[in-house]
Amino acid sequence: MFRSLFHLLVFPGFLFLVISGLTFEWLDRKFLARFQRRVGPPWYQPLADLIKLFSKEDLLPKNANDFLATLLPLISLSSVLTAGLYVPIAGYTPFSFEGDLIVIIFLMSVPTLAYYLAGIISLGIYSVLGGGRSLLQFFSYEVPLLIALSGPAILGRSWSVSTIMETQGRLGPFIIFQPLGFVLAVVGLIGKLKRDPFDIPKATSEVVGGSLTEFSGAKLGFWNLVMDIQAVVGIFLLIDLYFGWIKMSHPILAIAIFVIECLILILVLSGTSAIFARLRIDQLAGLGWRILVPLALLQIGFVILMGV
Amino acid sequence: MDKISIPIGPQHPLLKEPLSMMVDISGEKVLGGSLRLGYVHRGIERLAQQRTYVQNIHLIERICGICSHVHTTTYCYAVEALLGIEIPPRAQYIRALMCELERIHSHLLWLGILAKHIGLDTIFMHTWHDREMVLDIMEEVSGGRISHAANQIGGVRFDLDEEKGEMIRKILIKLHSQVEGLLDVIESEPAAIARTKGVAPISPDLIKAYGVVGPIARASGVDVDMRRDASLPPYDQLEVKVITHSDGDAWARTFVRVEETRVSLNLCETIIREMPRGDVVVHAPRRVPEGEVIIRSEAPRGELFYYLRSDGSDKPARLKVRTPTLAALSLLPVQLSEINVADIPVVLAGVDLCIACADR
Repeated sequence: MFRSLFHLLVFPGFLFLVISGLTFEWLDRKFLARFQRRVGPPWYQPLADLIKLFSKEDLLPKNANDFLATLLPLISLSSVLTAGLYVPIAGYTPFSFEGDLIVIIFLMSVPTLAYYLAGIISLGIYSVLGGGRSLLQFFSYEVPLLIALSGPAILGRSWSVSTIMETQGRLGPFIIFQPLGFVLAVVGLIGKLKRDPFDIPKATSEVVGGSLTEFSGAKLGFWNLVMDIQAVVGIFLLIDLYFGWIKMSHPILAIAIFVIECLILILVLSGTSAIFARLRIDQLAGLGWRILVPLALLQIGFVILMGV
Repeated sequence: MDKISIPIGPQHPLLKEPLSMMVDISGEKVLGGSLRLGYVHRGIERLAQQRTYVQNIHLIERICGICSHVHTTTYCYAVEALLGIEIPPRAQYIRALMCELERIHSHLLWLGILAKHIGLDTIFMHTWHDREMVLDIMEEVSGGRISHAANQIGGVRFDLDEEKGEMIRKILIKLHSQVEGLLDVIESEPAAIARTKGVAPISPDLIKAYGVVGPIARASGVDVDMRRDASLPPYDQLEVKVITHSDGDAWARTFVRVEETRVSLNLCETIIREMPRGDVVVHAPRRVPEGEVIIRSEAPRGELFYYLRSDGSDKPARLKVRTPTLAALSLLPVQLSEINVADIPVVLAGVDLCIACADR
């Protein structure tokens, strides 16, 4: 009982995920600032932003559905937090079961759908545009991402992340066999997180704030938290699936390697958002279906042949 | 899908100055758009009639925050033409130097805005960082970063000594190397090219029909540059390379402005090297004889047109300013059709709007 509560509320549950989400946001902003010859924010800036948003007035357009607008960020937050429970952190997972990879993928898609709904119900013209775009984008990146993520599952002969990691302990990290799949998964993750160059649904110069244009106060704070936690859960998942967990005699060494891998992945994410210009939605759809999907199928074919 | 109208402005993250556009869209396709202007109208032409010629310099400097110097330069040349005086060659060169510096920082500013609009925030930060060097030069020589107060009727208000010339040359060399790298990125970055190539092309006929000038006209293959065509001193003694491109799309507009930045950098170095010695100001009487004059010069955004009529008093009877942005604005609704919603920022950036200039 006490143990489960600890898992839910402290590690790897709520507290740990919130702290790592805010840390991710700070690191990301800091890296991006350094790429852009800026100084960047101090370490407590994401937390300060969150506190500021929670203390601000909460406004919505007159006819918007306030109940749904409150519910959607909370549903998104709970689903990404739940997804975070099942992702092994440095090999440690309290709730592992066969098929948890599918549960994680499903729970990670909930915020995107909620984001679309949030745009529709908040009745702003830019919100509706941003919401529609987020759904279009969803169909472009989700399919290659799913195909890419099924690569490790096929090679590991399991839909459980911890079993896949155990297989990697025997065979070596899957990045060796599926470098292409890893790249595709990173691209899909960037699309899922709506980061530059796939920040089409919230492109400031086109649709102001996207779906969240009309949101303010605590609701916006929750949405920001959702994005941060989604990012860290995605990063943890990719590291588990592709870099595995090399069985270490010492847990501190395992944690250190895990943290370093996370930092490198964050650096890659910040670097891509610093380097690339935003794509148009038609260019993204073309990229997704003409380039990423065939590449993902190629990778899957290779993996299946290897398994045989 | 149904037609919906989205408002862009008067307050919108896309716009740096107030301008109101209603854009009709269907899904992600833009069907058309309309404009509303006049949010920063300050009645400058009327105000100019109530002030003396000398006071007007300070008024006219405040028409624009980016190209303030070229406004006062054109005005001063107009007044001097009515007075029948010729300013010393050294003053002409200093005016031209400031004009070219202004063109560099205006184009760099524009480049940053374009980059920001297409999601290349890194280029935005870097160009604006480099632009600071130009502003530093301007502050060093004139005392003002934005409003330089460099001109007076009959010459300029400051002289450049050897030390300052050397300082400018050093900063320019540093700027040159920085800008070269930056411009290479802009000209070769695949995502930036994908976002601008083929977007909203304008034919040369349309350019002529709407009277569009400056880099937009040159990007459509209309070879017009007032530095060469109007032969205002000292450009009649300098060789100005006019950059043109035949495509007329957003990428060609980028290319022309990028290349013009290079030309201006070289021109600045030539001006400093060949600057004649002598005075920088001659005495000018306060009363201006009766008459009228038209002076045209090349602002960063194109041809700047000043009409000045005097009735023999110390105040202008009429001052008419035609800025390049006004013509470009009239072409904007034409461009806002058959494009994507995501192309609106690119089209708007390509026009390089200066609303304060256009509204006055």
